[in-house]
Amino acid sequence: MSDAVDRSVVRGIASGGTGGEPVVMDSKDGKIVRIRPLTWTTSYTEEELEGRLWEFESRGKTFKCPPKSSPPYYALAYKNRVYSKNRVKYPLKRVDWEPGGDPEKINAHNRGRSKFKRISWDEAIQIIHDEIQRMYDTYGPSGILAIGEDGHKESKVVHYAGGNHMRLLRNLGGFVREVRTPDSVEGFYWGAKHVLGPGLLAGLGMFDPSDNIVKDVSDNTDVIVLQAGDWETVQNYAGQWWSTAIRFWLDLGIKFIVIDPFCSYTAVCHDDVKWVPLNPNTDTAFDYALMYVWITEGLYDKDFIATHTVGFDEVKAYIMGDEDGVPKTPAWASEICGVPEWTIKAVARKWGKSRTSIGHFCGAHIRGPYSHEPGRTEVYKFAMQGVGKPGVHQIHLFSFETAKGAVPQWSGGPSEYVMGHADTFYPNELSVPRTMVHHAIEKGEVSWYGSPQIMLASAEEQFEQRFYPNKDVEGAGEFHFIWSEKASNQGSWNGGFFLQDAYRNPKIETFISNHQWLENDSVFADLILPISCGPEEADVVGASMTCSVPVFAIQEPATDPVGEPKSDYEIAVEVAKTFGIEECLTQGLTIEDERRYAYDTSCMPGDITYEEWKEKGYYIPPFVPNWQDIPAGMYNFYNDPENYPLQTPSGKLELFSQALADHFPDDKERQPIAKWIQGGPEEEGWSHDETLLGEKAKTYPLSLNSSPGRWRVHCQNDDVVWLREIATCKVKGPDGYLYEPCWLAAEDASARGIEDGDIVKVFNDQGTILCGAVISERVLPRTVKIDKGARVDPIAPHIDRGGSTNLISPPGPISKNCWGFAVTGYLVEVAKLDDAEMEQWKKDYPDAFERAYDPASGSHYDGWVEGAE
Amino acid sequence: MKTMLIDLEKCVGCYACQIGCKDEHCTNEWMPYARQQPETGQFWMRVDEFERGARPHVKVTYLPVPCQHCENPACVAACADGALSKREDGLVLLDPARCTGCGDCVGACPYGAVYFNDGLGIAQKCTGCAHLIDGDHPISVPRCFDNCVHDAIRYGEESELDLEGAERLHPEYGTGPQIWYKNLPKKFIAGTVYDPVEKEIIEGALCTVRGEAGEFSVVTDDMGDFWLRGLPDAEWTLTIEADGKVKELAVDTTEKDVGLGDVPLA
Repeated sequence: MSDAVDRSVVRGIASGGTGGEPVVMDSKDGKIVRIRPLTWTTSYTEEELEGRLWEFESRGKTFKCPPKSSPPYYALAYKNRVYSKNRVKYPLKRVDWEPGGDPEKINAHNRGRSKFKRISWDEAIQIIHDEIQRMYDTYGPSGILAIGEDGHKESKVVHYAGGNHMRLLRNLGGFVREVRTPDSVEGFYWGAKHVLGPGLLAGLGMFDPSDNIVKDVSDNTDVIVLQAGDWETVQNYAGQWWSTAIRFWLDLGIKFIVIDPFCSYTAVCHDDVKWVPLNPNTDTAFDYALMYVWITEGLYDKDFIATHTVGFDEVKAYIMGDEDGVPKTPAWASEICGVPEWTIKAVARKWGKSRTSIGHFCGAHIRGPYSHEPGRTEVYKFAMQGVGKPGVHQIHLFSFETAKGAVPQWSGGPSEYVMGHADTFYPNELSVPRTMVHHAIEKGEVSWYGSPQIMLASAEEQFEQRFYPNKDVEGAGEFHFIWSEKASNQGSWNGGFFLQDAYRNPKIETFISNHQWLENDSVFADLILPISCGPEEADVVGASMTCSVPVFAIQEPATDPVGEPKSDYEIAVEVAKTFGIEECLTQGLTIEDERRYAYDTSCMPGDITYEEWKEKGYYIPPFVPNWQDIPAGMYNFYNDPENYPLQTPSGKLELFSQALADHFPDDKERQPIAKWIQGGPEEEGWSHDETLLGEKAKTYPLSLNSSPGRWRVHCQNDDVVWLREIATCKVKGPDGYLYEPCWLAAEDASARGIEDGDIVKVFNDQGTILCGAVISERVLPRTVKIDKGARVDPIAPHIDRGGSTNLISPPGPISKNCWGFAVTGYLVEVAKLDDAEMEQWKKDYPDAFERAYDPASGSHYDGWVEGAE
Repeated sequence: MKTMLIDLEKCVGCYACQIGCKDEHCTNEWMPYARQQPETGQFWMRVDEFERGARPHVKVTYLPVPCQHCENPACVAACADGALSKREDGLVLLDPARCTGCGDCVGACPYGAVYFNDGLGIAQKCTGCAHLIDGDHPISVPRCFDNCVHDAIRYGEESELDLEGAERLHPEYGTGPQIWYKNLPKKFIAGTVYDPVEKEIIEGALCTVRGEAGEFSVVTDDMGDFWLRGLPDAEWTLTIEADGKVKELAVDTTEKDVGLGDVPLA
């Protein structure tokens, strides 16, 4: 160790909570000096790493594990996040709220407006104790809603967030669980699952297993199509190693086609990527035109269809127009999706004549209205091209594992959240889907069809009706106390402005938010608890999901704490002490005991000692020697469907779902086979009318494409100074405020008198957000692109300056029986904000404009806390 | 002598080089090499980006621009105080202790690589991370290089870098820049050729540009696309030929790249 630093800590820093490609954090005197990639040979020799860093030959070229980690770029800027001006330093209590439920002292209408003042931890813990006790005494266990099974999305293990409060409350007497819906893959969850079975993670509806896909694609794939999601961007929820694979594949001559409303960051940075722009959320029409060409030109695997699928005749009849008189030709699709029919035909032939894989990275149509339809047509395309055939794979966010590890690469050992104390992804008797929380508060009761959890969720559970309050539980009523370990619901999920309204409902007597930063839902809370950042904690955070190699790491804090934070686990333990049930959470173990336990139960004993692991800081487990022989992806199903059936009723791909036909015979939005669903007016029974073709488009003529942000992960990192100054991250308005970019085509901008850099209003029936105009060739006319997840900066109810798209996304479900979210591919209008309107807002809502604001990092702590220095 | 080779074809625009520079220099002081860089506004390793072409033929070029550590540095020539100097190993360094804050070097650098720190009243610039190279630190290479996981920035002895086809950024500035680049942007002309009657793309159409700057040809691929890349700034006549049909277009790349969109060939 050099004198320039006194500690070098290795850990994953991923705002996806995935472990993420590890970094080294050099620090001195309790401050982080730098954060940098980890070279694998830092603590080990090359000989010691033999059999742990993969390498293989493909088409005459060698593909070798990169020599160092590929951290997400924001992890390399994480000093900005740990030492952010917006860190919550101390427990904070809203100035005009008092615990106890006295309606006169709640001042619910001031949530998101009033400031906070510092209180002591003793006072904060006592308030929590008293409010829990009061809820149980007054309303019973159903009085408390616990939010946030996905936590703050910092990579942690012992201190993993997202259900420590649930574990506490489970031990104390119960609570209502807010159940996350599968945000990244809604269309697969609600659609594809009925075709291929539960699939990935026993419930996400994507193909599984995904062993050796990287090698098989290298060996056999001709074309990779990206139809949802921006690979170069979305991989950063964990790291950047996919870039290395993409570069290798381009060098092999694999053709990349990006079919996306936005000329994605993947499409623009590589010369050899073809961009096919299409209107947002019209992929189902595009897909059917492909299939039309395949059928009419014989470009599909008829044998596979015969042996591996059921219901192709029904789908074919729909495609050929036998069912509705409308053949789904390229000319038909072109009118809907805006892609010239010659290009549709060219893509269809290229795809049909090649070994084509799909790269799926969680954006675009898979999160839009009626997303179950393109979720299903993606599987139909795989059915027609023989999924599992060498070179034909779904490359998705879980198919990263290159060499099969001797231990599971993710959720295994001390690599990510498997060790946590949080009740993550558990079912609970009392529950409400995240998408229904604001409906539940405002209406007092809701019902839905679906699973009580997002993983281990069968297709059949989507036929079970559930209720809030749960009718089967005696005494279950409404909740009046919200405790959140996830402060970004209004930015990450849909209908955010309505969630803000619900938070202001006086029914909610108490709202506690645990969070590291004073952002989003936290500013609507009554009591805010400061949470420690991962780098402030001793833990065993390695790297696993979406990494080039798995890494088990152990670390001391890389920095002194900022203020007086505690981890969610430590807070739960403190509250547990007041009820005398501390041991229910700790089991008598210290943090050091738990780190040791993580070691003892891993594959490390016998290879290195605990002390060696601590000294070296990280460990790379071996992979199985014969990993290259493991069948790739769905090969076993492809090769032998009788012995490797899918978990569908027939064991085959069910292109026609008899189960959907039986359970929802009248559902015109999700029928037994996927269809192009345009939607229509509510009075005709439609959930959405969000296409450019319907009535609503006459009022709101632009289709908003809102995908995961290039410079954020979900709602995270919007305060990172060194990201905010990147050209495509923010737009500096004439008033000096850094606005979220709204990308417009030149023709749409000029028709509205908008110039590059103008402040614009983006609005629909849900409300108005402000953005900064970017005029670009990367978007289609009649569409706009705004990254999701900008930090909320409220001006007034249903008016926001921060540019968070989910405040104005549709507040309802994907379709009638599918309570997932629709957060992209919906209609808005955009207009230049004139100075008079801004001046009027400043007069009407002076507090919002007087809050402290720093262009470098945005709105921050000092603006919300009385007496902050 | 050690230097850098920056290959734009490998750059994916992640900005980790720019971030790494800030991580090293914004909150740390490395005297005698450098005082703290301000939290925001200076870019000792600066990524410039340019959107190019027209829908659907759109690309973005990311161009990382550090100090070029020139052979004949304009900043050194402009500095009357002897604060700027070129080291034996080629690094151009600014001594913060000797800088009087006249600012002459800021305007002198044609690459815009010298910045003025209003708070400190001194000029500041890339140090090549000389403190890491000279000192006892966990790494001894420039941070922008260490942060690049895409192999787009390489660093080492000049004799050991693969410099085939490498060039300098703006050699016409005459300062003798010492950073090497590959795949610096030249102009492109792109389009998708289709048959408007059959409504089919045309594969194999011969697309040729001719002009005083020369003649370049490419054929359309199975998407109907042609990309004429690496063109000089010039005026051209573009001829598209297939199946006896010919189309001629006047195309100008003197100012910018040209995306022609869907081009009917009837």
